[in-house]
Amino acid sequence: MESEPADSGTPAARRRYDPPLPAPPSFLRRGPFRANAFTSPLHEPRTVVVVGRWLGAALLLCFLTGLVSHLLQDPPAWLAPHLPARPVNGYRVTQGLHVIAGLAAIPLVGAKLWAVYPRLFEWPPARSVLHALERLGIAVLVAAVLLELFTGLLNTLQWYPWPFPFRQTHFWLGWLATGGLLVHLAVKAPLIAANWWRRAAPVPAGRRAFLTSVFAATGAVTLVTAGQTVPWLRALDLLAPRRPDLGAQGLPVNRTAAQAGTLTVPAGWRLVVDGPRPYELTLAELGELPQYEVELPIACVEGWSATAQWGGVRVSDLLARAGAPTGSDARVTSLEAEGPYRVMEMPAQYADDPLSLLALRVNGEVLTADHGFPARIVAPNRPGVLQTKWVARIEVVA
Amino acid sequence: MSTALRGLLLAAGLGLIGYGLYGLLGDPYITDPVDVLVWGFGGLVLHDGLWVPLLCLLGAFLVRGPVLRGWLVVAAAVTAVGLPAVLRAGDDGGNPSVLPLPYLRNWLLVLAATAGLALLVALVGRWRRRDPAVGRRARAVGFRDRAVRRRAPRGDRS
Repeated sequence: MESEPADSGTPAARRRYDPPLPAPPSFLRRGPFRANAFTSPLHEPRTVVVVGRWLGAALLLCFLTGLVSHLLQDPPAWLAPHLPARPVNGYRVTQGLHVIAGLAAIPLVGAKLWAVYPRLFEWPPARSVLHALERLGIAVLVAAVLLELFTGLLNTLQWYPWPFPFRQTHFWLGWLATGGLLVHLAVKAPLIAANWWRRAAPVPAGRRAFLTSVFAATGAVTLVTAGQTVPWLRALDLLAPRRPDLGAQGLPVNRTAAQAGTLTVPAGWRLVVDGPRPYELTLAELGELPQYEVELPIACVEGWSATAQWGGVRVSDLLARAGAPTGSDARVTSLEAEGPYRVMEMPAQYADDPLSLLALRVNGEVLTADHGFPARIVAPNRPGVLQTKWVARIEVVA
Repeated sequence: MSTALRGLLLAAGLGLIGYGLYGLLGDPYITDPVDVLVWGFGGLVLHDGLWVPLLCLLGAFLVRGPVLRGWLVVAAAVTAVGLPAVLRAGDDGGNPSVLPLPYLRNWLLVLAATAGLALLVALVGRWRRRDPAVGRRARAVGFRDRAVRRRAPRGDRS
């Protein structure tokens, strides 16, 4: 691939801002550094642009949906009151897309990096200071993207062989990777623009076959995994780490009661509701309050989601009974002894929503321990980790 | 693309990188950012130093024909995505709804099904090549990374 022509300034001005670097002695130019070391005609810009467009789209989709997930799960104080409780399936769609796009990016990034591989051995390795910086930026971009895809894939299996925390690292690397992508797009803009449309020049032998196989690979990966969230692809869910109908009571579980240490509920459990008029209710008393049935999805950050029929008491009824003024936020605490989501903040728009329940039943049965017995929260358009299980206490927050 | 837009993109990208670095280095949960560096750099070295060279050698010396190449691309993708589940099957950390499927069987099934499809494509291709009207187009396929010295240097390759 030819590099883009100098786009601004005279050569002298360019040298001033971008001092040239001396070329290494030419006897070092061996092996893959030689001029014609790579002979496939597909190491050319048009092929790279066709694959790169899809890869770029997938990565940007990952970044944006990841940001949505982060903001829904851990909103800054100013944003929390504005998070929408609709559409009901919003998080299910954005997080499903996050994982679908991330998995699709795996074959795309493979194809893209193969197509540009000879650029790794360009000669001289660095023409100027800016060129060296640009290449360093590419290294950061590729390393960040590869690590993002790797950690994201393994996280869907709950497999953590690395020494750093997944969530924080995946989040910050996302900024690095996306920033690197934008810089890369800015640097390569002329080359991308020149190859955006098919040129009149003859198509290199094998380009169509190569692109077809890359898109077939992307399609195959999507087809055999997307069924963990897309209902009509469930029959093809062969390699995804979850299937929406497999688990206790026909529903997967993110964290079991055994893992959370909530297998047995303390004798004499009572729901504590704190507010202007605090009260406590036994499970039997909860069952005597007006009951509602809602259909809501559990949508996990790991990319699976499943709709279920939930039955129980409206959160808004419980808050009103405690004398909470309308528009109050709620804070829900679980029985679990520890865990990052033991205490869950529920902004007013979710707490007031008629679909938000303190559920006692799922799919017509009393909740099992894994699904949060004696009572759990379900609310629309929220990440699964905020659908607090094993609820002990609900507080009215002014 | 206008210079202004390019500059904007560049500035936004640098801003995002800066924010990401600031977060990565300052996050209280990431106690040792060097670990992240090691894993990131390690992935880069494994990919560029081992995987792609292997791919180029395979493509140059062993694998012939667009359909076989195409199927190998599909098989590699399915393996990259499915292999962790195959390796990890049964290790659900006490949560039976994680990895509930027979992943080794499913992986082989997907490989076999895509191989069957590839075979079908190859047969259709062969049949079509016997029809001279479509033969010209069908012959123009096949991508390769052929060995170095056998071919005359070409200016458009880098």
